[in-house]
Amino acid sequence: MPRPSLESKPRLAPGCRLSDVVGQEATLLMPEGALKLRGPGLQIIRSCDGQHTLAEIVATLQKEFRKADPKKVESDTAEFLEQLKNRRAVDFE
Amino acid sequence: MSLKVAPASLPASYDRNGNQDPKSPTDHKAAVVPPASLPAPLEQSRNPEPQPGREPQNSACIVGPLALIAEITHRCPLHCVYCSNPLEMKSRAAELSTAQWISVFEQAAKLGTMQVDLTGGEPLARVDLTELIAAARAAKLYTNLITSGIGLTQDRLNVLAHAGLDHIQLSFQDSQAAPADEFAGTNAHEKKLSIAAAIAKHHIGFTLNFVVLRGNLARLEEMIALAENLGAQRVEIAHVQYYGWAAENRAALLPTRAQLDRSLEIIQAAEARLRGRLRVEYVVPDYYARYPKACMGGWGRKLMLIDPSGEALPCHAARTIPNLHFENVKTHPLEWIWQKSPSFQKFRGEDWMQEPCRTCDRRTIDFGGCRCQALMLAGDAAATDPVCSLSPKHELVAAIVNRVNSAATHSMGGASAPIQVTSSWIYRPNPS
Repeated sequence: MPRPSLESKPRLAPGCRLSDVVGQEATLLMPEGALKLRGPGLQIIRSCDGQHTLAEIVATLQKEFRKADPKKVESDTAEFLEQLKNRRAVDFE
Repeated sequence: MSLKVAPASLPASYDRNGNQDPKSPTDHKAAVVPPASLPAPLEQSRNPEPQPGREPQNSACIVGPLALIAEITHRCPLHCVYCSNPLEMKSRAAELSTAQWISVFEQAAKLGTMQVDLTGGEPLARVDLTELIAAARAAKLYTNLITSGIGLTQDRLNVLAHAGLDHIQLSFQDSQAAPADEFAGTNAHEKKLSIAAAIAKHHIGFTLNFVVLRGNLARLEEMIALAENLGAQRVEIAHVQYYGWAAENRAALLPTRAQLDRSLEIIQAAEARLRGRLRVEYVVPDYYARYPKACMGGWGRKLMLIDPSGEALPCHAARTIPNLHFENVKTHPLEWIWQKSPSFQKFRGEDWMQEPCRTCDRRTIDFGGCRCQALMLAGDAAATDPVCSLSPKHELVAAIVNRVNSAATHSMGGASAPIQVTSSWIYRPNPS
């Protein structure tokens, strides 16, 4: 399975949603369990709305985390989303 | 027993079947690795990876239950020969009311429960299912419907979706109608196919579940292809677990070693081929495993089952254990039952363990296996689960497995063992 293209738009797959409990840690709910999210992981998942391209998500993170190697931010973000895709938590449009 | 945080790697969510066999291909479902270059990455919840070593005894601060298994009815239009329901099922008259179930969901959510699995019997047999789903969602729970699909229509599906149903796990008995209907004891397969097509059109998580056994493993590839064609995101291939009605039919259900080896090859090939499209979950048959399953993720540790009448159980078959009294949600708060009741404390922690579990490095990984299975096979609920190769009573399991394999060798060999003769099954009845 090739890496998602930078132009593709990730979105949460059916059956997966970000928990919306106020005052609690954000959680990605999935059929097989849940992932607690914060920091960039949470930011990435919040951007998985089918509107933003992977390139846009990466660019936002690169701007915010200036000290990190931009190439590494790109590859880590793509890898993170690819793994969620393999768990069928994220679709690419 | 607090939720540990695993910062660097992100192991899988909790595994309700608790399979830890190193041969299981589900092992690599672990590890969603967070973006390492970025600070404060994702954290894992629900499945604090057990580390070898001692864990706190009957800790005062008990987290969870992480998921609630709500057996909302034992009524079911199917009569599956491997049903895990108890032999003595609860009648309709004994079932909790709508308000009582809603109270259970609200109490669970306050305890930190994230998910409710609505199951049965057939949960669609409850006319108030929509109300229950809406209430569970209102309590901020993830809602999972575990169903045969019988009783589901396009209209009812729309209503359930509107109520906030997150996920449907639709069971199939086989890839082909004739054997499927034999295992289900009724004509259900064609109806399932048509409702599956309707489910796939909704934005609801969709998993196909196949319970595999000696008589259908020859069609494992067809089953996976069916899940692919029906548009599911996941397919769960689960070997029968021998409780309830399945225990009654065990001799006819148990696969052969040759079938098991072949099924592992098929699963691994399917996982590689379908990665990113269809997720393949696999539950190994623990009679063939080297180590037992971490039943329910450990007794009173992650999961709580509420039966149709409101009895709270740490494991599906817990009622078979003698001298244990199980509390009812009608008379006790869920929090007290989970944290303090004697039945949930009984096999929590490690004090109850016998050798070899007591000094085994795997005791915090598999918790000694299943207490109900230990009772059934070894006659002692506190014994090491005899499916464990380290159990002093393991020869009991080896003998059961050997009988199946030598019979298969004498007939026609493993992989294409014939479908059973219908008259030999003990079918699960429908409670009144």
